[in-house]
Amino acid sequence: METTLGGKPVEIDEDGFIQDPSVWDEGVAKDLALTESVTDMTEAHWKVVNYLRDYYLQYNMAPMIRKLCKETGFKLKEIYDLFPSGPAKGACKVAGLPKPTGCV
Amino acid sequence: MDLITISRREGLAFDIRVRHHTVTSDLSPADGGRDVGAAPVEMLAGSLGACIGMMVQRYCDSCGHGDGDVAVSLTLELADQPKRIGAIVVDVELPDGVPANRRDAIRRVAEQCVIHETLRNPPRLDVEIL
Repeated sequence: METTLGGKPVEIDEDGFIQDPSVWDEGVAKDLALTESVTDMTEAHWKVVNYLRDYYLQYNMAPMIRKLCKETGFKLKEIYDLFPSGPAKGACKVAGLPKPTGCV
Repeated sequence: MDLITISRREGLAFDIRVRHHTVTSDLSPADGGRDVGAAPVEMLAGSLGACIGMMVQRYCDSCGHGDGDVAVSLTLELADQPKRIGAIVVDVELPDGVPANRRDAIRRVAEQCVIHETLRNPPRLDVEIL
C-alpha cells in the first residue's frame, strides 16, 4: 500500500515498514517514528537509527541486538525507552530496514 | 516435580497451573490471540530472566548487598527455518555498591542457573498424543 512519509509517496507493508530502503531520509524517519508513538526524535533516537542504517547499508542485514547495545552504549531497557516497540519492530522500522522475522 | 497442567481458557489463551498458581498465556491479536497473557516464547524468556534474577539476587545477598534489587531485562530475536528463538538478549542490573571485580563471578552465577543450563544443554523431549 502507498502512504505519505516525509512529504512523498512511499510504499509500505501491512505493518508500516517501507518496502524500498532507498527512499528513506530523515523526513521519512520522523514520520515513521510518529507511527511508533515517538513524537520527538532526540539525539539518542538518531544515534540508534543511524547505527542501524549504517550497519544495514554495509551488511544488508540488521545487527544483533547485543551489538546494537554495545555499539550505541545503550542498555536494552534504554533502547525500549526510546522505541517502545523494541529494536526490531520499532527502531528498525524508523531506520527504514525490512520487517524483521517472527511474531514477537 | 509437581504436575503442570495446561487447559484452554478462551480462544487461544491457555491457563498454566502448578500447585496453587495459575498464569495465562495467549498470543497477540496480530497472531490470532486476544493478548490476555504473555506469549509462550515471552514466558520462556521470562523464565530465564526470573531464574537468573533469583540466582544473582541470592549471590548479592550472600555478599552483603541484599538491600538492593537485582533487575533483569530481556528480549528475543526470532529465526526462521525452523521458526524458533534465535537469540535471547539479557541485561542484568546489579544493586548499587556491588564491586566491579565481582562481575565475572556474577556472570558465572547467572550462567549456572537451571534455565540457562537447560537452554545450553537441551533436554530430551518426549511428547505423546493421547
